[in-house]
Amino acid sequence: MIQIKDLHFGYPRQQALFNSLSVHLEAGSITGLLGKNGAGKTSLLKLLTGLLHPQSGELSVLNHNPRKREVTMLNDVFLVPEEFYFPAISISDYQKAYAPFYPKFDHVLLDRILTEFELRPDNNLQRLSHGQKKKFLIAFALSTRCHLLVLDEPTNGLDIPSKSLFRKILAGSLSEDQLVVISTHQVKDVENLIDNIIMLDKGKVIFQQTIAEISQKVCFISGTSEDVEGAIYSEAVPGGYRMMMPNGHAETEVDIELLFNAITNGKKIG
Amino acid sequence: METNNSFSFHRFTMLCKQSFIINKKLIGISLGSFSGMLFLILLGNQSGAHFNQWENHDYLGTFVFLFFVLGIIYTCLSFPAFRSKEKSMVYLMLPASVSEKFTFELLTRIVLYIVLMPLLFWLVANIEGIVVHSFMPELTNYKFSFRDGFLTIVKNGKFEFWALILTIQGILFVFIAPFTGASHFSKSPLLKTVFTFLTIIAGYGFFVFLLIKGLDLEHIHSMNNHVLFLNKENALLFLGIISTLINLSLLSIAFFKLKEKEA
Repeated sequence: MIQIKDLHFGYPRQQALFNSLSVHLEAGSITGLLGKNGAGKTSLLKLLTGLLHPQSGELSVLNHNPRKREVTMLNDVFLVPEEFYFPAISISDYQKAYAPFYPKFDHVLLDRILTEFELRPDNNLQRLSHGQKKKFLIAFALSTRCHLLVLDEPTNGLDIPSKSLFRKILAGSLSEDQLVVISTHQVKDVENLIDNIIMLDKGKVIFQQTIAEISQKVCFISGTSEDVEGAIYSEAVPGGYRMMMPNGHAETEVDIELLFNAITNGKKIG
Repeated sequence: METNNSFSFHRFTMLCKQSFIINKKLIGISLGSFSGMLFLILLGNQSGAHFNQWENHDYLGTFVFLFFVLGIIYTCLSFPAFRSKEKSMVYLMLPASVSEKFTFELLTRIVLYIVLMPLLFWLVANIEGIVVHSFMPELTNYKFSFRDGFLTIVKNGKFEFWALILTIQGILFVFIAPFTGASHFSKSPLLKTVFTFLTIIAGYGFFVFLLIKGLDLEHIHSMNNHVLFLNKENALLFLGIISTLINLSLLSIAFFKLKEKEA
């Protein structure tokens, strides 16, 4: 579905952002794109959607070159950017204006998600709070039924109940043939949601594995200073330590934040 | 499912419908305030001319001035999505082809303006004339007609073909230049477009000046009046073709800017 090979990209008059970047993603997963600030997460999402053009390398999204921004690609890809714009119209008018461009648009799904997010069709989009606008955009994105959904910091601006609702709705609205790429630095918000992790650092993919692969290799436990010795990576937390251990223990939930810190500190998990 | 990536009339219709849904209030308010403003301008001008000295060609003069000034401002507001990054992203990600988006912008910013502005002016000018006439029944010249107005300018009512082309292209240039500028410049497109064209004209003028000085062509017209063109028709033909090419080039630049736009 997404094929990036040897991609080079940089902004004018700046150091190159991506040097020889390669990524391969298939449908049927929710991929978390993680990285420090300035690692290039948003730029990569823009490259995938054709909003930025690479200097060289191969980039294929749904068998299209995103640079061409062909309609057959655009009506199957939806981007939820971190900062967005809405015209001063009601939700129902927005639906009338934009939904016809997406051939698989699911109006029933939109109504259901809007109800869950407590949004009404007569709400004027410009009078909504930032969080409410974001909820509407997520609802609209899911209702397009696009094969590729690209979400840039989707949980920014959402309150705590909305974050868990977001996870529930996202997980419950997708089909097997869809791919969701979520860029975030709030890793806790996407825990138990993503099933594939890509970490970016200094213009390169430094880590790409599925949650299942990670669970087989390492486990995440809490312990005391005495347990730290055998850990691949550990961090002091109130009341003890959080540790990433080689898997000899029972399979545990992946602590993405700890994993991220471990990988960015140069630790390897095989 | 639509698989045409170049131009689909169905998608183009959706684009028009979408724009209408988003801008219907703005269109209504703009048309209302524009008509009101036009009415007041005409009334002000007519009262300045003490009403009785206000003829058809005075209406036409006001029309020509407003047609170009407002047209330049309006076309400079083309590609409104490019004024901010967030709007640009929404616009570029909208599933419509570059040709559809470009045609829509060209039609609504130039063609529609050229068609609708005279109609609106004619309507408001005649309403204004009737209103003034109802207060001053002694006024007889209160009806405005484009035909009569133009006939006073073009005495014989006839244009040579290439002179007509040159005139049309000249009028179009006034709108196409800011249209292209708006596709290029995100901030202050009007100022930047004017500055760019002034720089080009000044540069060209300087180049011609150096050429004439360098080749010592200053006195050549005294020897032969027809160095460049054999006659007036040839000159019109040449300028007509050049102006058409300039306009087509400017439109191509705007198209490719839209095609290659990043956000």
